[in-house]
Amino acid sequence: MKSLLKRLFLIVFINFIDQNIAFLFSKIFIIIPLTFLAFSFYVYKSDKNISPLEAFSFGLFVDLISDSYFGLNTIIFCLTTYLINQNANSFKLFSYLQICLFFGLSASTYVGFSQLIINLYDFSYKTLLLSLFANIIFCFFVALVASYFPKKLSIKL
Amino acid sequence: MARAAPTPGQKLSFIFFIILGSLFLYIDITSNNFQSIKNGFKSFKISSFYIAKEISIEPLKSIVNLSKSKIKLVEENKDLKEALEISYLNNYLVSKENIFFKDQEIIKKTHNENNYKFEYDIAYLRSIDPNMYKCCDKHRMFIEIKQNSDNLYVESIVFNTEGLVGQIIDENKFYEVLLLTDISHSLPIKLNSSEFFCNAKGSGRSEYIICSYNPLVWTEEIKKNQIFYTSGLGGIYPKDIEVGYVSSIENIDSTQTKIKIKLLANPLNGNMFGVLKY
Repeated sequence: MKSLLKRLFLIVFINFIDQNIAFLFSKIFIIIPLTFLAFSFYVYKSDKNISPLEAFSFGLFVDLISDSYFGLNTIIFCLTTYLINQNANSFKLFSYLQICLFFGLSASTYVGFSQLIINLYDFSYKTLLLSLFANIIFCFFVALVASYFPKKLSIKL
Repeated sequence: MARAAPTPGQKLSFIFFIILGSLFLYIDITSNNFQSIKNGFKSFKISSFYIAKEISIEPLKSIVNLSKSKIKLVEENKDLKEALEISYLNNYLVSKENIFFKDQEIIKKTHNENNYKFEYDIAYLRSIDPNMYKCCDKHRMFIEIKQNSDNLYVESIVFNTEGLVGQIIDENKFYEVLLLTDISHSLPIKLNSSEFFCNAKGSGRSEYIICSYNPLVWTEEIKKNQIFYTSGLGGIYPKDIEVGYVSSIENIDSTQTKIKIKLLANPLNGNMFGVLKY
C-alpha cells in the first residue's frame, strides 16, 4: 500500500513537472513525455513483470490527472509494459546506447500516437522528428546522470 | 534476477486491457460520458489545492503580511508623529500668544502667508543627559538639523512646541545647545508692562531660571504667577516671547530679591525642535 502510494505520488509529481515543461518546449516544437518515460523506466527497472492491470490502472490514472482522453495513456502504457516485459531479459544484453535508443523511440511513438489522437488536424512531422532527437538525447542524459548518481540516494519503488 | 516472459494468459490479459483502453478512448472521443468524472476530478483538484494552500501557505503569508503591516504602521506612525510635531512647531510660530505673530518684521522672515512655509530648520534631538538636566549646573543638549543648509547656526535660537529652550553655542557633528537653565546662561527678560527688566540666569535646576534684582532700583511690584517675556536686549532672542511665570519670590536682603521663574518649555518633552536665526 505504502509502495503504491509512493508510486502514485511520484506519477502525480512527474506529471506536474511534465505539464509545466510542456509549455516551454512546445515553443521549440519538442514534446518530452516525462510521465510516460518515468513509467517505462519503472517497468524496465522492476524485478518482476508488471501486470497488465497495473499498467492499465496507471494509464487510466495518468489520463485522469493529465486531462487527456481516457484510454490514450492506457493503451500506450499497456503496450509498453508488454514490450518491456517481453524483452526484459534481452535488454540485459543491450548497451546503454541501445536502451536509450529504444526508450527515445518509444517516447516519440507515444508523441506521434497522442498527437494523432488529440491533434490530428495540426499533426506536425517537425514536432515528431525534433521530439525523437530530443527524447533520445534526454534518455542519454538520464542514463549518464543515473550512472554517476549515488546508489544510496536512489528511490526504491 | 531473470524475468519470465509473459505467459499466454498474460498476453491475453494485455490484449484485453488494450482493447478495453481502445474502447474507452473511442467512447471518450465520440461522447461526453466521462466528462462528469473529469469535472469531478478537476473540482477535487482545485478544492484540494485551495485547502492545501489555506493550510500551508496562507498562515505563513498572513504572518509575513502581519509583520509587514506592523512595520508599515510603525513607519507611518513615526511619519505622522513627525508631521504633527512640525505642525506644532509651525503653530507655535503663528500662534497669537507670542511674538512671531505680532512682530511683522519677524513674520516676514519666518512666515509666508500663502503657503505657510516657515524659514526655520527642523532639528532632531540626538543627546541630552536627563540626570545632568535634573541635578547639575551644566545643562546641554545636542541636536542634528534635518536639512543642513550652509547657514551658520551658532547663536540661533532653539524652540520646541512649548516655547524657547536655549541657543546653539557650538557646531560640530551635532549642534550643542546651551539650555536656558544652564548656570552659564543669561536671558534678558521683562514684564509685559515693560517697566521691569532683568537678566535671568540658569538655576542649574530643571525648568527654572532665577532673576536677581535690586528692589531699590526696580520698584515695580512682582506677583506670583506673573508672566515674563524676553526683552530682546541680548540680541540673541527676539523680544516679547513668553518665557515663563513667577514661581516664588525670595527677599534676600533690602538690596537683593530673587525671583524664581518656571519655564514654559521643557527640552525633555519631544524629540523635535525648531532652529531659528534671528
